[in-house]
Amino acid sequence: MKNILFLLAAFWLISCSPKSDMEQNKELIISETTEVPILTIAEFDTKAGDFVNKEVKVRGIVDHVCKHGGKKLLLVNDDGDIHVTTDDDRFSDELIGEEILVSGIVEEFRVDEEYCMQMEEDNIKNHSEGQTDDELFKKKKHSIQAYRDSMSAAGVDHLSYYSLVYVSMELEDEQE
Amino acid sequence: MKMKKLRYWFRVLHRDIGYFFIGSSLIYGLSGIALNHLKDWNPNYSVELISFDTDLQIDKQDSSSTSVVGLLTEYGLEDDYKKHYFPKDSVLKVFLKGGSTVMLDLKSGYGEIELLKKRPIFYEVNFLHYNPNAWWMWFSDLFAVALIFLAVSSFFIVKGRHGAVGKGGIYIALGIIIPLIMLFLSL
Repeated sequence: MKNILFLLAAFWLISCSPKSDMEQNKELIISETTEVPILTIAEFDTKAGDFVNKEVKVRGIVDHVCKHGGKKLLLVNDDGDIHVTTDDDRFSDELIGEEILVSGIVEEFRVDEEYCMQMEEDNIKNHSEGQTDDELFKKKKHSIQAYRDSMSAAGVDHLSYYSLVYVSMELEDEQE
Repeated sequence: MKMKKLRYWFRVLHRDIGYFFIGSSLIYGLSGIALNHLKDWNPNYSVELISFDTDLQIDKQDSSSTSVVGLLTEYGLEDDYKKHYFPKDSVLKVFLKGGSTVMLDLKSGYGEIELLKKRPIFYEVNFLHYNPNAWWMWFSDLFAVALIFLAVSSFFIVKGRHGAVGKGGIYIALGIIIPLIMLFLSL
């Protein structure tokens, strides 16, 4: 029994021992060489395509935190907005009105003809089943048409919408 | 004799586990009602809307926080200022402490203050309902397992005509049939 306790204590000590200087330096070098680029909200929509599935940082004010569990937040400034989502964490609504530097993985959402057709089908189904009223039905119909018009005007077969999947954040006020 | 002992232990455990999870039952019961009606109300905050008109000129180009705080001073909110931005060229949005906001149309001078006040108890129970951390997740899992145990053990607590094979059985059947009807109607 004593031996087992001794082994457990030794394992704990080894696993919790402070990292050597070499290990610390290695981490520092890695973090320096893989510095995460900072994008402004204004340039996010145009540049995000180059960073899909890569990490970037964006600075902005938290305008809104989703009240259904705090899994989404809207980052804003005078130039636009970005949606930030999280799977594991939960955004506190205390963040509303704070300026933050958020780090996240760029995610692309594509709207194409297939998506529009599916939306159209769902819209007709929901309306015929009485789940949506005439106003909402028309609103959705218009937004589907707007997607198609945008694709046609730009001569592309899809529209890309980008968001950030949350990694970490810093409160800007704390840095000052 | 064996069944008698089993019944005894089920009764003891049902009682004590029931006592232990009274707090959790209240948390999930209250937040369950609150969150069921998200469409009808804001379960976390009470909201007060105050309309106002101002002659104060705020320009997007030179909008330092000083001019915005100047606006808030008119309504005694200057100490609550957090940040501001312009969602549109002619619209100012100011964030206040506690989640409150001020929206101002710069052209007309018409504005609205949305004052939020945390609903005591509801804010806290709703917060817990959404699993704020891993510890609470495991504790609420334990609560869920306890609920299953409480349901199963209730079969064995009372015997005779008030038990699961008597009147209790009718209640059990109803409690299962009603959700099944709802499910059938919704699908």
